[in-house]
Amino acid sequence: MGDVVQIYQDYKDRADFLTVYVREAHPTDEWQMKSNLKDDVCYAQPKTLQQRVIIANDFTKRFKFPLPFGIDDMSNAANDAYAAWPERIYIIDESGHIAYRGGIGPFNYKPEEARGWLAARYGAVKHEAPKSPPAATPTATAPAASPSPAPSAPAK
Amino acid sequence: MNRFWKWTSGILAFLFVTAFIGLSIMAGSPKDAYGMVRYALPHMHRGTLKVGSDAPDARLVALDGVSRFHIRERTGARPLVLVFGSFT
Repeated sequence: MGDVVQIYQDYKDRADFLTVYVREAHPTDEWQMKSNLKDDVCYAQPKTLQQRVIIANDFTKRFKFPLPFGIDDMSNAANDAYAAWPERIYIIDESGHIAYRGGIGPFNYKPEEARGWLAARYGAVKHEAPKSPPAATPTATAPAASPSPAPSAPAK
Repeated sequence: MNRFWKWTSGILAFLFVTAFIGLSIMAGSPKDAYGMVRYALPHMHRGTLKVGSDAPDARLVALDGVSRFHIRERTGARPLVLVFGSFT
């Protein structure tokens, strides 16, 4: 999640972001994990939209989560359309087509791939050496989905 | 024939136990293996979307719990990074 926030900070001037809250992955009444107890994240699976709204607000408040936020309603329409559960990332290009389809979390949830897509288009944002001028080398790992010129300067 | 079934059921039981032990090690504990099979696998789908597919729309609820908006309202001007997840 911290990765996604960092990507948002790095590219929010270039791309739009939207977080979609879907059904809980490890609620207390299903497959709760020890880490949920440690992190004090204990919620039952919401049965109503109101319960989802409460949890989503708890989440954004606790982490001061900066990304724009939407909640999947009890029809789970967004989750079903994107096969999203438990966590997944997509990038939709300007023409409304899927430009990047991330894998299913947790094992194939890889924010760095989404970062790679953005970096290929808009230039990489380096964090290792913030004092020195960042090297303007867009990574070539992401699919070259867009013909638009990738500015060589970093996004910040 | 009786012997055949004895062997078959024996092998199946062995495979089942081995798979469960393997899953328990992978997931962390037998309880986690059960949780994975009972609660996670039924909800995990690859989906039919591919790179190049038309991005589906869905109506979402805002954090205020009242206002609604559509995913596709947010697309068009710039790329949209969609991050799905939950708190737990």
